[in-house]
Amino acid sequence: MSENKYAVLNTRVHNVDGYAKVTGRSTYTFDVKLPNMLYGKILRSPHPHAKILKIDYSEALKLPGVLTVATGKEDTLGVRQGIWRRYKDLCDEAILTVDKVRYIGEPVAAVAAVSEEIAEKALDLINVDYEVLPFVDDPMEAIKKEAPVIHEGFERNVNVTRQIAWGDVEDEMETADYIREDWFKLGGQHHMCMETRAAVASYTPDGKLTVWTSTQSAYYHQALLAGVLGLREGNIRVIAPYVGGGFGGKFELDGAQFCASILSMKCCKPVKVVFTREEDFIASKRRTPMYYYVRTGVKKDGTFCAREAKVFTNGGAYTGMGATALYLTGFFHSFPYRWKAYRYDGYRVYTNSLPSTSMRGFGAPQAMFCSEQQIDWIASDLGLDPIEMRRKNGHYEGYEVPGQATIASCGLDQCLTKIQEWVKSKGKLPKNRSIGISAAGFMSGGIFNWFDSPYSFSSAVVTINYDGTVELHVGAQEIGQGSSTTLALICAEALGVKLEDIKVHMGDTDHSPADLGAWGSRQTLMAGNATKMAAEDAKRQLLEFANAKLGFNIIYDLDIRQGWVYNVARPERGMSYYDLCKEALRGKEGQRIIGRGFYTPRRKGMISPAYSYMVQGLDVEIDPETGHIKIHESVTAHDCGQPINTLGLIGQLEGAASMAIGFGYYEYLPVEDGKVMNPNLVDYKLIRAPEMPDCHVIEIDTYEPEGPYGAKEAGEGLTNPHAAALGNAIFHGTGLQMKEAPIRAEAIAKAWKEKQEKGTEKKKK
Amino acid sequence: MSVICPVCKKVKKNPVDCARHMFGTGDKPHKAWFEAQGLSFIDLLLDQATQPGNKSYELVGGYIEKAQKDIK
Amino acid sequence: MEKKLLRFSVNEVPYEIYINPKTLLVEAIRDHVGLTGTKRGCETVSCGVCTVMVNGMAVKGCSILAMQVDGMSVTTVEGLEKNGKLDPIQTAFLDEGAFQCGFCTSGMLMMAKAFLNETPKPKDEMEIRRGMEGNLCRCTGYNSIIRSIAAVASGKYREDK
Repeated sequence: MSENKYAVLNTRVHNVDGYAKVTGRSTYTFDVKLPNMLYGKILRSPHPHAKILKIDYSEALKLPGVLTVATGKEDTLGVRQGIWRRYKDLCDEAILTVDKVRYIGEPVAAVAAVSEEIAEKALDLINVDYEVLPFVDDPMEAIKKEAPVIHEGFERNVNVTRQIAWGDVEDEMETADYIREDWFKLGGQHHMCMETRAAVASYTPDGKLTVWTSTQSAYYHQALLAGVLGLREGNIRVIAPYVGGGFGGKFELDGAQFCASILSMKCCKPVKVVFTREEDFIASKRRTPMYYYVRTGVKKDGTFCAREAKVFTNGGAYTGMGATALYLTGFFHSFPYRWKAYRYDGYRVYTNSLPSTSMRGFGAPQAMFCSEQQIDWIASDLGLDPIEMRRKNGHYEGYEVPGQATIASCGLDQCLTKIQEWVKSKGKLPKNRSIGISAAGFMSGGIFNWFDSPYSFSSAVVTINYDGTVELHVGAQEIGQGSSTTLALICAEALGVKLEDIKVHMGDTDHSPADLGAWGSRQTLMAGNATKMAAEDAKRQLLEFANAKLGFNIIYDLDIRQGWVYNVARPERGMSYYDLCKEALRGKEGQRIIGRGFYTPRRKGMISPAYSYMVQGLDVEIDPETGHIKIHESVTAHDCGQPINTLGLIGQLEGAASMAIGFGYYEYLPVEDGKVMNPNLVDYKLIRAPEMPDCHVIEIDTYEPEGPYGAKEAGEGLTNPHAAALGNAIFHGTGLQMKEAPIRAEAIAKAWKEKQEKGTEKKKK
Repeated sequence: MSVICPVCKKVKKNPVDCARHMFGTGDKPHKAWFEAQGLSFIDLLLDQATQPGNKSYELVGGYIEKAQKDIK
Repeated sequence: MEKKLLRFSVNEVPYEIYINPKTLLVEAIRDHVGLTGTKRGCETVSCGVCTVMVNGMAVKGCSILAMQVDGMSVTTVEGLEKNGKLDPIQTAFLDEGAFQCGFCTSGMLMMAKAFLNETPKPKDEMEIRRGMEGNLCRCTGYNSIIRSIAAVASGKYREDK
């Protein structure tokens, strides 16, 4: 889209929260302080699997400054909840557990005291009698016949199974000239939001509960809390102040929100619970670790015939969003290619370790690590060009993924061309440097409503004030991804006003319309559509007054752009939007013009109304003896339809890259005997500024009919390809095929050493 | 040596391919056949998905071979 | 433990507070002086979101006791602006979109300011990156932050332009 086509879209603007964030004025749940507020701390299970026999907190209550202690059995309804509300058997988690603990770190009791220090001291005075049970912390162990039962009613600890299939895999495999099979192991990863989980809950004698919390969806938390506390949704107010990161880990009910609420309900005072960094590591949820078996059949010219995948995921102790990850990993394992036949069988297995859930990419980084590396290996086995092989089999506009999705916009081919040009331009690389590429893509919000919400997926209200300023009320949650700025831009464009005329209101269930929230890359498309509809509704009402006032011949229509209401055929003729607002208000008896918008995807296949596409290239220096890598350059060819928020887009793509590189190389999260071995920032490695490569992005121009102004997701899809691209760089540079993510330096060094020894043996023979 | 699937009678190129087919359909009748042989479908599937090498397919292939004589 | 008197200045304003000697500097700033722009993100002096300046030097507020700055001058993010006029580094962050969730931003700004005070003309981008190594960011991937610092260093925000 040419830059002149739109007034404000895809221009470099200051983030609407910018002033607050760069001056220390943005307050987070971490900062919330209320009068008469207490501090809550949580006693956590030291055992991965145990029955709770008795909890004696009498000594804790004697400690001066301790106001109350709460346990699951005495102070909760014992409701087993989950975010898959439509499927009761998957609602398996009573957060303050009543009878059994299933992972190390699970909440067992909670204390409210006048200071954090006293609350912590009180934890030591609570005596819990456990009957320790045998535990299993790996799917391979958990699925055995003799394994301990983690949840009653789930045979072999198999929590969820999913199948995605089309065509006849066996028949199509018969037509293949070459078949390859590989086994992969994918590690977990932690969201590592800079702001840990936190909540302040305030229950008052009139039976109302207000909860400030760091959340990706104020509405989800309002509804979930109502379900577990036995309160009406309307009597619960959830306020999301500024949110210090989410990445998929903050839209399920967590220990901070639940325990703070229970404690507050018990003593009728505000209670604040903030997780320490260690607690955040061990007692929130993580990216789902997986085992992948992939068998792929192709023709000798590289045409894809069939693929089958069998996947076992480590679900941890509870279901959470893990059921969705099981589904999406299977879908994105086929993406972005045309398969004559495809079959994915996924099994999610309960284990006694921290629960697995959604994390940016939602199962696709794992799927891509396997798929995109195997494709490069197949290309190498057959002597084919890896980019041309992808191009031959790639999605295109109009393609129907059988039974799953219709692709309405697709820039994959152009992305491949751009990366191909980049690879060519690099010429011959120095020694120990090699290039790896990976294709990827992602959904723009899901079509599913397993949450069983009765509301439109996204809603928006646009209200125009006397002076032309605009109140935009949305439920879409700003968590740093820039949604408030993006929606303000869409509103400004649709209504025809300047960005600075718009105020965005969200994050308060008392004032914002319900919205499913910030996950699955849904807000730009879904909340964007709702915002556009509301703004256009308001504009239409406003233009009625303009038409009356200006009285142009009926053949002329009006529009508004940058505060100027104008005759579209003769743009110099018109009036000021700001003058019009004054007249319209008087015309409406002093009532402000209000526009409403909403969006729910219907008949859009099984996954998403729209898909982004990208191809990622990495120029990597590898020292195979130490396994140390340095990424010299990152280039991405990217199709998100119409970019809306320029600075936001760049930031989201660079951020996605840092998290994706973390999944591929840095962020090792070992869990042994159910225990997270590195729950701190010394031992859990995040990429830092000196290691981050410069990231160049080439935006490919496409138009997505389902998205506002043609826009679709950006910022999550790009978490998907880097691990595979890194693996492919290692393959092309050293010949090593790394089948475990993160690809650890030790693993590279070990594999290299084995390769050298094999080579020496061969020579000796 | 080509074999016939003991459940749905499809002809497969060899016992391992037939095992692959039986794991692939994963439907009730095929799963029931596993149980009837005293095999655990889920244990073998997990092994197949997590351990490189096709031990599960080969094991089941052996049972399929033995079953050929009883197929009418 | 008996409370002790701490006298220090924060953003050029003198403060006298009675605190438990165990109090960390970041806790004194947030809970006693009441400036919540400075955050806390870990217990292992690893993340840098608590970075402030003490006598002009960048210091992680969780790594020292408040009593250690007795008689000294502390600058927090609230002290960067002067009567509503933003410091060049703040304007640069706005122009580059060098923040997303914003939780690390205060620490980033203070570290960047201290770095530029010490190294007004960094010899290359890697020197800036090394200067910011102690500050973690989960959202931005750092590059927009580095661009902001480079822009200030290049003189883009000089008053006399």
